[in-house]
Amino acid sequence: MSNPWGLSGPAFLWLYAGGLVEVLAENVRPGALPESLRVLRGRGVPVVAHAVSLSLGGAEALDHTRVAHLAAVAEAVDAPLVSEHVAFTGAGGLDSGHLLPVPRTRAALDVLVSNVRAAQRELPVPLALENIAALLDWPDGELTEGRFLAELVERTDCHLLVDVANLHANAVNIGTDPARFLDEIPLERLAYVHVAGGVNHDGLYHDTHAHAVHPEVLDLLAELCARVPPPGVLLERDDDHPPDAELAAIRAVVEA
Amino acid sequence: MTARDELAARQAELVRALLAGGPVPPGFDPDRIRVEAAALHAKRRAVAERLRPDLADDLGEDFGTLFDTWAATRPRRAGVSFRADLADFASWLSSRGRRRPALRRRG
Repeated sequence: MSNPWGLSGPAFLWLYAGGLVEVLAENVRPGALPESLRVLRGRGVPVVAHAVSLSLGGAEALDHTRVAHLAAVAEAVDAPLVSEHVAFTGAGGLDSGHLLPVPRTRAALDVLVSNVRAAQRELPVPLALENIAALLDWPDGELTEGRFLAELVERTDCHLLVDVANLHANAVNIGTDPARFLDEIPLERLAYVHVAGGVNHDGLYHDTHAHAVHPEVLDLLAELCARVPPPGVLLERDDDHPPDAELAAIRAVVEA
Repeated sequence: MTARDELAARQAELVRALLAGGPVPPGFDPDRIRVEAAALHAKRRAVAERLRPDLADDLGEDFGTLFDTWAATRPRRAGVSFRADLADFASWLSSRGRRRPALRRRG
């Protein structure tokens, strides 16, 4: 595992086709930033603090310690904004270690809105929320994914982080209509875009952050770019640094 | 029961099905529960290998089987960090005589 900055581990997610990097907030100590981050900040590269563990879609009480950590990381890296997911990570005393989908019901939206507002009160910068890749769906959805996100934005004034790989995943795995999704979300609230690689397995798409970006994902990126020029585009790559050709392919779509 | 309580109960039911062998909650596709459960387990194992390369080195090709055996009945509890969780795995291995002391490194 290596990259141009000599870092190992998942503290960094990748590429800044749109001129930004992300740091995974849970893996950073605000008082002991890696030198590479200071170098990047010195060069004026915006660093977004990206969180994965707030469980904003969870019905259990918000963990204010985690919110405070994200806030501290945001301050330490001078982040213009922070981001998290529309997801929950555990329940009933168990932690899944990953992002799980929330039911797209009005009741679940109310809980999410309440948690997001509580987090926003404690964060020093705006919050962008991301659509996740799901392998399963709740049985009782009342809203499309796009409407769910649109109402979330309307009620919390949050920004959106659109992950086009996750959108592709949900098109394959749970039947989300990507064009309708892009029609329904308020693109004027788009903060930036995630692109990522994955693998097909037994008819399902798995978001791995370790494999090549699929052509269908680049097609969705193009479809999004045709609607609005994204303020930033970032390739999530947790393992090996991607080949230059892969970055060039993303840049070509964004700059087309 | 408030709407939040009801959602909490349903989320807990889903998480039990995914992490602790609980029954598939009504309305969910059992195949997808199985796929998601396997994906979550694979991620946990990948994190274990990355955070504790000493254990992976000690155990060699037995790592996967032993980790799977240990993890099957021990979902990670809320509030327990990955590192603390893996310290439990290391203790479990030691108690079964599966660690080679000469190769131990600081974890």
